[in-house]
Amino acid sequence: MLEVRDGDVTKLGLLFERYQAALFNFFLRLTGNRQTSEDLVQDVFFRMLKYRHTYQDGSDFTTWMYQIARNVRFDCFRKRKREVMLNEEENERVSPGPGPGEKLEREQELVLLRGALARLPEEKREVLVLSRFQNLKYDQIAKILCCDVGTVKVRVYRAVRELGEIFFRLSGERVS
Amino acid sequence: MNCEQMHERLPDYLVDDLDESERTQAHLHLSACPRCRETADRFLEIWRKLEMLSAEEPGVALRARFDAMLEAYTQGLGEARTDALRQRFDRWIGGFWPRRPAYQVGLCSLFLLLGLAIGHIVKSRPSANGELAELRQEVHNMYQLVTLSLLQQQSASERIRGLSWSQRVSQPDPQVLSALLQVLDYDPNANVRLAAVDALQQFSDQSMVRQGLVQALTRQSSPLVQIALIDLLVQIQEKRSVDTFKRMIADENLNDAVKQRAERALKQLS
Repeated sequence: MLEVRDGDVTKLGLLFERYQAALFNFFLRLTGNRQTSEDLVQDVFFRMLKYRHTYQDGSDFTTWMYQIARNVRFDCFRKRKREVMLNEEENERVSPGPGPGEKLEREQELVLLRGALARLPEEKREVLVLSRFQNLKYDQIAKILCCDVGTVKVRVYRAVRELGEIFFRLSGERVS
Repeated sequence: MNCEQMHERLPDYLVDDLDESERTQAHLHLSACPRCRETADRFLEIWRKLEMLSAEEPGVALRARFDAMLEAYTQGLGEARTDALRQRFDRWIGGFWPRRPAYQVGLCSLFLLLGLAIGHIVKSRPSANGELAELRQEVHNMYQLVTLSLLQQQSASERIRGLSWSQRVSQPDPQVLSALLQVLDYDPNANVRLAAVDALQQFSDQSMVRQGLVQALTRQSSPLVQIALIDLLVQIQEKRSVDTFKRMIADENLNDAVKQRAERALKQLS
């Protein structure tokens, strides 16, 4: 990124190659929409170019990238006035068809999990995605969210607890 | 470790980020506290279940869109740099340019004089002048060579072309002039001789040509060429042709039209 900042903008291609999938999945898990997620990834890399001079020596690139990604998503949300939630259509995409019992059970569980994640409040879903799926450490997440590590841990604790409650409630509803 | 501390440690417990002593204490507490154990198990269960939500790959079009964006940005960056340079140059020039019209006129006059002076110096440079003259001489020689070469051709049209080439030679050598006069005197084709009269008209200020024209008139048999020659001699006011005109008028075998023209010419020159 330092080379990009210092004028060799073509080097951004390497960063794109390395991080596009991670960013895409970050947005996909938050918006549930592939097209929107691809648009947002594109927007993140455009902003990296535009604001490359703000990248400082010794900075953690991943943290900087996710800070931009959050801003991009926030602006997109504000522009569209509504967030594309992890919707039913998305869930139906993986809805189980006829199959062996074990496979069917696993697919049902997957649907429930997606549903539970979609019902999780925005703030909790985000911290969960960053820690569980993007494999970021709590201190990195603290920098991205501009808060202290303790706050991140509390948010993770609450997010997992609430996700569990929703998931097991949905499982109970399915069983009954 | 008590229950409260256990709950505080749960996020680290999930990502296995406890040091050795904390892990031991956590295990000890969980084995002793059924409520905390139940909570931790539920946390771990849901945490592990999330693994089922595997990552997806973005579409291939994303890469193409990125490449297009990067190319457009790079191109825009180049243009912006050029614009910035141009603006800086404009500002720099603008800094020198006076605001008052009187000064502007003065500055323009100064530049004009400067331009004239430079032009004068460049023009008077001997080396450039010498090279140019040399080049002109070479072209001049080439024209003469082409003229002489074409005048020796078998074909009449080629010889006429040679005569037209001679028009490009501003100051021909005696060799070229005598070749032209020879064509006028001895060429078997009347059209070629007629063209020679036209060609020699350009060099009629040279005494060799003037004399040649007078002598040629006596040798001509074609009325067309004779009339053309008389016209030319009258035009250049060649007095030496008067005697020739008189002899022609006296000649009984001469074409009437030529004779009439010679009579008129005699009056014009006397």
